Amino acid sequence: MSTHDELKASAAGYVLGSLDPPERREFETHLAGCAECAAEVASLRPVVGALATAVPQVTPRAEVRDRVISRARGGVDAGVQTRPGGRSSTSRAAALGWLPLAAAILLAVGAGIYAVRLQRQIGDLQVRFDQARSTTAVLAAPDLARIDLQGQPVAPDARARALWSRSRGLVFTAANLPPAPAGKAYQVWVVTAQAPISAGLLTTDPAGGGSQYYMTPPDIAPPVAVAVTLEPSGGVPAPTGEKYLVGMP
Amino acid sequence: MWLLAALARMHPAAESQADDVSCLRRIASGDQAGAASLYDRHARPLYSLILRIVGDETEAEDVLQDVFAQAFRQAARYDASRGAVAAWLLMMARSRAIDKVRARRTRFEGRTGDVQVLDEMPASQPDVDSAMLDEEQTRIVRQALGDLPMLQRMAIELAYYEGLSHTEIAERLEQPLGTVKTRIRLGLLKLRDVLKHPNARSPRVGGPAEGQA
Repeated sequence: MSTHDELKASAAGYVLGSLDPPERREFETHLAGCAECAAEVASLRPVVGALATAVPQVTPRAEVRDRVISRARGGVDAGVQTRPGGRSSTSRAAALGWLPLAAAILLAVGAGIYAVRLQRQIGDLQVRFDQARSTTAVLAAPDLARIDLQGQPVAPDARARALWSRSRGLVFTAANLPPAPAGKAYQVWVVTAQAPISAGLLTTDPAGGGSQYYMTPPDIAPPVAVAVTLEPSGGVPAPTGEKYLVGMP
Repeated sequence: MWLLAALARMHPAAESQADDVSCLRRIASGDQAGAASLYDRHARPLYSLILRIVGDETEAEDVLQDVFAQAFRQAARYDASRGAVAAWLLMMARSRAIDKVRARRTRFEGRTGDVQVLDEMPASQPDVDSAMLDEEQTRIVRQALGDLPMLQRMAIELAYYEGLSHTEIAERLEQPLGTVKTRIRLGLLKLRDVLKHPNARSPRVGGPAEGQA
């Protein structure tokens, strides 16, 4: 068992993310109940954040900008214009008269539309794949904690389960939630001893079910509860609405 | 007078956060101009951090692209209550860049035994407020980092820019583990004090009463 001063000395390494895992766990346990160490951690955070920007500033090459922006989801149009196959086949077709030209154009347009659709599907799949990979990572986490949530008086049939790993995030699955009224949305909260932290919004299907992966800050205090409230549709920084689901570890 | 000017310069942060959030909304709705604008606002600091970590321009460009691709994909899910966009982007940039370096290390050294340990380490998260430091504050931190005693500075740099743990830093610097911890702590406390009192820069002195750990 370490003394308080030894533990407090770990705050700097903790904020930098450089504690070895057993030491980190010991410090986190201590941190939850020690205001002095919590204050030390809070005061060192801006310093560590400053390290991110305290490096020599270099502008990336202009080509990188083009590559990045063409990869944005709205960038699918570029893919249609620069298809070389379409252009050369239409110019050859011009010599053969009107009908083949029209056919070639139709083909090129069709292929273009198909490419756009395909790209969109790939984008969607990528998002789903990211989610699935994150979810799997949480489920396989060595530090997985399970919290079951019970429906509150406004929604007694609602049920949910939160699977949380400090290092890998939160997987949240809910069932039997009533549909959120227009202009409102469900928001998931990880409640710590200090304050509730928003995990994010939860979208539900018509049956009132929903499943979502959320990133959580790796250095949050251990959760004392997980809750779902009904909030204005964009979400709010701190809970204001009625509680629908609450669970404690 | 300069103090007022410096204070005035600190606050565009809130406004710039609002602009960032509006960029993400536009990206989520498929507006390419939103992507261009987000890139123009953040590419330079992100690229600089990534380049500092991976040390190779081609690899840094790849990581930068990945960071933006991830940001674009997640634009719709970005939750403003979780913190500043700038901090979110910097966090992704640091953790992806460190992953790249770690993958390279594992590949070259074949030390697969280390992977699990590394895997368990949390990527530390730049704080929201700090990522919105203005240029003057950034300059102060950079200068203060350079002014630290060499071993303090190296220990901090290995931890933050290389993603090494205390044990790994102790091995690299051939220092006892306890010494590494102390140096990291003294260095960070010094940087904190410089940030708080930019004018009272007294070299070699740690925080009040906390100096001897």
